[in-house]
Amino acid sequence: MNYMPGTASLIQDIDKKHLVLLRDGRTLIGYLRSIDQFANLVLHQTVERIHVGKKYGDIPRGIFVVRGENVVLLGEIVSKESDTPLQQVSIEEILEEQRVEQQAKQESEKLKVQALKERGLSVPRADTLDEY
Amino acid sequence: MFRYPSLEDCPLDEDEDAFQALGEEDEDIDQFNDDTFGAGAVDDDWQEAHERLAELEDKAGSSREPDGPVGNDGDVLGDPEDALAERLTRLVIDNELEDPAIMQAVHTRDPPQPGGLNSSIWDSSAMLRRIRGPLLTQEMPSVSVLDYALPQRPPQARDEERDPSERALPRRSSSPIIGSPPVRAVPIGTPPKQAAIPNFNQQILCPKPVHIRATMQQRYPAPYGERMSPNQLCNVPNSSLLGHPFPHSVSPVLTHLQRAQLLGGAQAGRMSPSQFARVSGLVGSPLPSVNPKLLQGRVGQMMSPAGGFRAFFGAPPAPPPSQLPHPPGPGSHLQNLRPQPQMFRPDTTHLHPQHRRLLHQRQQQNRNQHRSLNGSGGDRGGHRSNHQEQIRKDPYANLMLQREKDWVSKIQMMQLQSTDPYLDDYYYQNYFQKLEKLAAAEEVHGDGPKKERTKLITPQVAKLEHTYKPVQFEGSLGKLTVSSVNNPRKMIDAVVTSRSEDDETKEKQVRDKRRQTLVTIEKTYSLLLDVEDYERRYLLSLEGERPALMGERKQKICDMYDNLRGKAPGQDRPSDDHFMQIMCIRKGKRLVARILPFLAPEQAADVLMATARNLPFLIKKDAQDEFGLSLLYLVLSRGEELQSSDTNTELMQDNQWTELMLMATRELLRIPQGALAKPVSIPSNLISLFSRYVDQQKLNLLETKLHLVRGIR
Repeated sequence: MNYMPGTASLIQDIDKKHLVLLRDGRTLIGYLRSIDQFANLVLHQTVERIHVGKKYGDIPRGIFVVRGENVVLLGEIVSKESDTPLQQVSIEEILEEQRVEQQAKQESEKLKVQALKERGLSVPRADTLDEY
Repeated sequence: MFRYPSLEDCPLDEDEDAFQALGEEDEDIDQFNDDTFGAGAVDDDWQEAHERLAELEDKAGSSREPDGPVGNDGDVLGDPEDALAERLTRLVIDNELEDPAIMQAVHTRDPPQPGGLNSSIWDSSAMLRRIRGPLLTQEMPSVSVLDYALPQRPPQARDEERDPSERALPRRSSSPIIGSPPVRAVPIGTPPKQAAIPNFNQQILCPKPVHIRATMQQRYPAPYGERMSPNQLCNVPNSSLLGHPFPHSVSPVLTHLQRAQLLGGAQAGRMSPSQFARVSGLVGSPLPSVNPKLLQGRVGQMMSPAGGFRAFFGAPPAPPPSQLPHPPGPGSHLQNLRPQPQMFRPDTTHLHPQHRRLLHQRQQQNRNQHRSLNGSGGDRGGHRSNHQEQIRKDPYANLMLQREKDWVSKIQMMQLQSTDPYLDDYYYQNYFQKLEKLAAAEEVHGDGPKKERTKLITPQVAKLEHTYKPVQFEGSLGKLTVSSVNNPRKMIDAVVTSRSEDDETKEKQVRDKRRQTLVTIEKTYSLLLDVEDYERRYLLSLEGERPALMGERKQKICDMYDNLRGKAPGQDRPSDDHFMQIMCIRKGKRLVARILPFLAPEQAADVLMATARNLPFLIKKDAQDEFGLSLLYLVLSRGEELQSSDTNTELMQDNQWTELMLMATRELLRIPQGALAKPVSIPSNLISLFSRYVDQQKLNLLETKLHLVRGIR
């Protein structure tokens, strides 16, 4: 709050570890190195974290430059990695889990649409809407 | 173009006549068209040109050290380029004039000159880097990434590509503005590409002769003292608020266009003389009346974001936010700023220790008046060690320089500028007022530790009149219809048609009536907001205007009252119908509650009587509504107070009150327990009120129902 009290500014967050949630649902964790007035972010030593249930997996990504409009929220990570009830697994495993989860979701979605269609209702397709 | 020494040398000699005719024509053309064929034309013998160039190469090649076999051999393209590159690097404007985003790359050949402390070193972080290099190795074992990564890129290539592009920036910002917002050559998002460094700076830092410097002198005719960045122009009135109104200050009253142009020019890195004339023209205008409320809190907050921008203009160095009121402006009057009683130390851990130390030295030179800061040297040492630790652990820290951070916060601050903060940022202002009242109250009560509350001062910009005048060209018939953001073209001719009464059905009438009530409520609300605002305006206005303000306020209050009760009332106000309609709507109830304090006593009494008259009806409606219920309870408690105090015996004698109470209790009893809403507050004397009118059993029922017994909430 030193720069501009009473306002929200990312300047105090620089060089700190952050978790960034993007509009497409991805979760990035990295050190915030640089910002600009549009909240475009430069993340360093970025890791994309995939969560499925109680498990998560990290994919190292390097340096990310994120356009500000795609950020849903971000927050500083203070606690250590060991302080979480979640279980870390390997990348392959988490990707597999994710695939399974996606499949299950798709199937249930299909059933839903089918049921609605039988009743004469229709839901607009999700890809035409702005998700997240 | 090939030119043969004589036509006879032409290989195709078949038609001599034709060629001779051509030759004659050629001579004719020669006479007429000197530029193309005559003296003005360059003798374009490519062979000669090539030979000339080759001579150059040889000279250049011999002056340089031989690089090996590649040196002077047949590589025609490579060598001239290198020679050119060399010459360009000498010509190029110094590294300070770079975009903070790209400045890291250059590792110049100039020897580092740490001696020039009195010059504006922080205008160039590249310069800083030069200093940093040797000093770093002495002081700190760990090095930041910046020193590793970048100097290996060939600097020549960079200079080459940079320089022509900078020269080529178009001067769009001085084009006529036709009604669209001014065009920026470089979008506002980019940090300054090139800083306008005053000449003395360059003489210290870059001793090599630079041709371009001469032209730069022409471009900046205004003396150094008069040049001010747009940000400074906005800053200056704020700084003057610190108790030094000076007559010849620069007013912030730039027109929208001028400011945009200044910014646009600033972004492009150059200011045309015309813009400077405009700027210096503003110097003479008088200071506008300033808001005394801006005196509160830290002005330093405002100064710091402008740091980066000031550096850009080559004004006195960008103060880091660690230094409080650092005089930004070139004028000496600004140096008389007195520090605020409550000093505030921001987080300085982002500054490189060298940077901070040099800055500190600089501050000490500049500010002999600010004694309080000198005592903070000890603190600074503590910060430095903290920072050293940080940089040891995180070699990638501080990739974003202080200047860049200032840049971003400056942009954010600019967005907060407003002509009327109470209009644009009402809730924030109110919130801070409340906070300050709390703090003041705390201070009065206890001797608790004085918390430093830093308040963000948003610069107040004078309101500018923007009257749009459609552009006119001389000599044209009529006016152009140019549609732009500020002047949109009318697309639809919407006409309001009122319906005739006969056609409407009953339902529609009901609906319309409700809508009309809603509209009335909204109108009255606007009046109410204005009236509530008058107090504040009263404080701000000048003496002469105050009676007028009071008159306006009274008028509005009357209007509100009329709205509530219905226009053109009959003699006796036979129907409270209009009022009842308003009271049926929740927003209307709130409106009435807010208006009540403003009304004259008779009017207030009138409103209350109307409420009371129709109370049963309202109770029925309000039982579900906690707000209504609260109001009801308040009214009842008020009646109870009156009764118990016995001042108003008329109320007792009036049967209506008794009837009212009976009806109220009946309704309350009737409503099932669950449906009864929980009001905001229950006045405590309701029990005694009810006890007058009902027997014990019902009283008990009421008590449990309304949670009147203490302990049940």
